[in-house]
Amino acid sequence: MKIVAATKILKANDQLAEENRARLNAAGVFAVNVVGSPGCGKTTLLEALFGHWRGRLRPAVIEGDIAGSVDAERIDALGVPVVQINTEGACHLDATMIAAAAESFDYAALDLLVIENVGNLVCPAGFDLGEHLRLVVLSVTEGDDKLIKYPAIFQRSHALVITKVDLLPHTNFKLDQAAAGMRRLAPEAAIFQVCALHGEGVAGLADWLVLQARAVPRSPSQSPRSQQS
Amino acid sequence: MHELAIVDALIDQVQGEIERAGATGRITRLDLAIGRLSGVCVDSVRFAFEMLSPGTILQHAQLAIREPPAMGRCLTCGVEAEIDDLGALCPRCASADVSIEGGRELVLESIELEDPTPCGDYR
Repeated sequence: MKIVAATKILKANDQLAEENRARLNAAGVFAVNVVGSPGCGKTTLLEALFGHWRGRLRPAVIEGDIAGSVDAERIDALGVPVVQINTEGACHLDATMIAAAAESFDYAALDLLVIENVGNLVCPAGFDLGEHLRLVVLSVTEGDDKLIKYPAIFQRSHALVITKVDLLPHTNFKLDQAAAGMRRLAPEAAIFQVCALHGEGVAGLADWLVLQARAVPRSPSQSPRSQQS
Repeated sequence: MHELAIVDALIDQVQGEIERAGATGRITRLDLAIGRLSGVCVDSVRFAFEMLSPGTILQHAQLAIREPPAMGRCLTCGVEAEIDDLGALCPRCASADVSIEGGRELVLESIELEDPTPCGDYR
């Protein structure tokens, strides 16, 4: 006998991701999935953004790494609520891990959940976590050819943040090449250039993310803010 | 290596489909579609299947994988054609406004089982 299934593999992950998103929507929390290579500057970028969000947004962070808690300690030092996930070998976060980690947070006290994925340009592209926005980070030292070599992760992102632009004079990275590559893969995506270490361009990205966060669909009955009004 | 996670999820999914259908009997064949743009490596899926299937309901199953081509439709001139990659330009008018219409599949298409051994055959 033959059973015709015609179901997506990873359907279980997709369903759980939808549940994560519904929970976030109900609480009025905007979620961003930050992806990029190891060492591209994801954590440094977050550290720089928090300074601009103080008093405007209440963020929390889920840190995904194969091992260790160095990134979570850096976020914790800034007074931002953080949970570290150790994937113990897995090369990406999945929706189950996010559902478990999110238990640690009181969503009513948050506006923004930042998920820093495992440093990897391949596997995180295939796993929806329930986020509203996927932000891909590319440092100039990696080269502008990464968009050609790893198209899927760029195509499935809503914004490209080019980091370490202070090092541009020392590399052969072509900003126009990278921007053209992104426009081909994801014409709607926003593109930012920053130096997170010295602050250049960070304010613009921080403001844009605040605007995106305010656009999150909120369920009127459960949003803490609409209850106040 | 996310193929390992994919095959792990696949085994659970087949188990679910079998239970839902109330089917019994040995699974002999599994048909998958893995598109050229899915980002999933077919060889790695086969390797992960060899590693993970022993001792599961899929241990006797043959894995058949179809690889649908990458298809694009140009939103400028309307032509539909096979494309090379996610960022391909239209092969006719070179527009970058190409919508991906096929090649991203990652689908469990069907499961084949042996007919259960008839017990109580009193001929």
